[in-house]
Amino acid sequence: MSETSGSGLGIADLSVHYGDRPAVSAVSLEVAPGEVLALAGPNGSGKSTLIRAVATDLEGTVGEVLAAGRSLGGLRPPERARLVAWMPQEEPPGDNVPLADYVDYGRYAHLARWSASSAEDRAAVATALEEVDLTALAQRGIHELSGGERQRARLARALAQDAPVLLLDEPTAHLDVGHQLDVLERVRAHARAHRRAVLIALHDLNLAARFTDRVAVLAHGRLRAVGPPSEVLSSELLAEIWGVVAEMRRDPRSGLPYLIPQLPIRPSEPARPHRGFRVHVVGGGGSGAALVRAAIERGWDVSAGVLPLFDTDSELVREFGVPAAFELPFAPIGPDALRRLDALLGTADAIVIAPFPVGPTNLANLEHLVAWTRRRPILLVDHPTGERWDYAAGRAEAVRAELLAAGALSVPDLAAALAWLSARSGRPAAAPATAVE
Amino acid sequence: MGAVAVRPVRGGETPTSASPWRFGAVALALLAGLVVLLGLSALVGPHWLPPLAVFAILLHEGSGGLLGSACGGLAPNPATCSIWTEVVWDARVPTLLVALFCGAALALSGGTLQGTFRNPLCDPFLLGLSSGAAMGASVLFTFQLALAEQATLLPVFAFVGALVPGMVVYAAARRFAANPEALVLTGVALSALFSALLATFLFLNPSGGLQVSFWLLGNLQDQTWTRAGLLAATVLIGGSLIVLYGRELNVLQLGPEVAESVGVEARRTTRRLILLSTVVTAVAVAFTGVIGFVGLVSPHVVRLLVGPDYRRVLPLAALFGAVFLLGASDLAQVILPQIFLPVGIPTSFAGVPFFLYLLYRPGSRAR
Repeated sequence: MSETSGSGLGIADLSVHYGDRPAVSAVSLEVAPGEVLALAGPNGSGKSTLIRAVATDLEGTVGEVLAAGRSLGGLRPPERARLVAWMPQEEPPGDNVPLADYVDYGRYAHLARWSASSAEDRAAVATALEEVDLTALAQRGIHELSGGERQRARLARALAQDAPVLLLDEPTAHLDVGHQLDVLERVRAHARAHRRAVLIALHDLNLAARFTDRVAVLAHGRLRAVGPPSEVLSSELLAEIWGVVAEMRRDPRSGLPYLIPQLPIRPSEPARPHRGFRVHVVGGGGSGAALVRAAIERGWDVSAGVLPLFDTDSELVREFGVPAAFELPFAPIGPDALRRLDALLGTADAIVIAPFPVGPTNLANLEHLVAWTRRRPILLVDHPTGERWDYAAGRAEAVRAELLAAGALSVPDLAAALAWLSARSGRPAAAPATAVE
Repeated sequence: MGAVAVRPVRGGETPTSASPWRFGAVALALLAGLVVLLGLSALVGPHWLPPLAVFAILLHEGSGGLLGSACGGLAPNPATCSIWTEVVWDARVPTLLVALFCGAALALSGGTLQGTFRNPLCDPFLLGLSSGAAMGASVLFTFQLALAEQATLLPVFAFVGALVPGMVVYAAARRFAANPEALVLTGVALSALFSALLATFLFLNPSGGLQVSFWLLGNLQDQTWTRAGLLAATVLIGGSLIVLYGRELNVLQLGPEVAESVGVEARRTTRRLILLSTVVTAVAVAFTGVIGFVGLVSPHVVRLLVGPDYRRVLPLAALFGAVFLLGASDLAQVILPQIFLPVGIPTSFAGVPFFLYLLYRPGSRAR
């Protein structure tokens, strides 16, 4: 019953205007039969509009859309419906009809005019219900379904339409995590088995990475990147498109990328070139908190890291909206965090190493800075005498000596560090008395 | 309002669907009710005739003189028999046929409008279609009375009159898609406007003042076979076309965009259905005046019985509308036999509480 096609979905130079406002600008995309392509992008980036423009005869659309080799331009709804099936993000509740009748609406375009459903239609409805695991509820009224069941019912309606191109707009919205995985797995299996070209708008980039063959990123209606998730998804892309600081890691089993979003980038901070004096604080465990606070009170820009997530310093840094590199708690500092650290150090005027306890997991914080001694002034704040701080079997002491040898300056305490920084910043220190305890 | 906070317009308490036997049972019950009411309607009237004589006349005339004898031998003399025959066959029968098809027309129109506008508060009366049609007919009635006697021209003028509110309401439905009350308020305003125009035209006619109440509140009296035939043909043809769009109406409940995406010619279908509703309403109103609430109540009652599937709702609503209007008409004549109580009065007494129920029931948007 599957209508296989050789050519899937082709979108060429598609633009959509709502009145004067461009919602989608010159987007070109191909989705091959059997391929699942995720459409990602922030809210308002034009994902739903792009999908609508393919699914319906949307006003203000210019460009060419091909489905299974046929141009959709000028097609009447029944012909279009046989080529493209659409699961919209939301729809009116409609009448409380039995689920099976509701799914049968997807068969409309396959019916001869004013004829009853055929055996083929009934089989398609049964298959679609089976594919979303709702066979048992076939006679239940759709208003009596749970949110997740309703969502799967709408997917079933689109599947029953039996079109070579399948458009799904946020199919996992309102689903719990189990059903999110389940639905996307079913969609992917359906695409493979029936050679459907599937375009899915997805907010969750980790799901996109896990279940789709390629990701297309939209921002302000323009296509910004297309490719396999491992090539397209990156911390830089998230910062640029979504304005979010995120760590990108790789699933050790699948090798697929996954992102750990951390901080929204506030307008007052990093992405733009900073104007003032910028201090980078390397700390952890609360050692850097006083310095961060004092620097902010002096009107300096501050960055921090690498900090373990959820520790005292990282919580403070989040509270102040200070850009920082993070690592998971108790995990060794990884390459992504170090890349982020390098980006921050590259725009800092001075680096201060707070007296933080060093163990095997955060030793990289010190080691990594050796290379930076030639590029930025580095201050090493001494540990209080007698306090144990090297939990890395002497390696921390060794790296510290290496830093000093390479040109880092040792200062006895926080006050001395602040005095040095004030002189360096070119601004007289007019710090309130409470700034340094 | 959240992403899918689209509230159900129709109440959630209606049954989802009924098994075929339930559809059959309701259809049989309504047909039986219709037969009983048709018999009753032939008996009631300002002149009392012996029931057996009435049925004998129906049998004799209905069979073209083949069955039974004139008046069943119950008339005291041939002159009386011929008067009886005239009363039953040329006055009561066309009247009850007009009532039957008028009820069916209004119910079909109401169900169709509720479906196309996805709005449970729709009916030809509340949306101003009936007043527009009556206004159109009254133009002919006022200025060309001689022509108005011809059954064929009245519906044409009524249709032209009903087109105006029909188009305004169509435009309003597109404009206020998210706001069902706005559509109904537009209809109420149109209804008031056309009622005022209708009254003005009727008062312009020196002898027309008395007609006002009949046109505004409905009048099933003084029907002819021509009118009955014309109305029956319109309702049977128009109604069949409407019922054939039942599947499209079902899908349209998901909104025009989704409906088009599964292949329904949403805009074209909507326009055709509104046009068909306007036609059947116009022809009914042209002969009976404005009868309110039949179109509102009938589809809802049927929905409560057999669920929301328009393929079932529409034909059963037509049956129910016929039963409702015949019943209301008989009731008016039985309770107040001396007065020609306009039939719109009893239908309003039944319909207004129902309208308020739809407005205030739990889950309704209009609160």
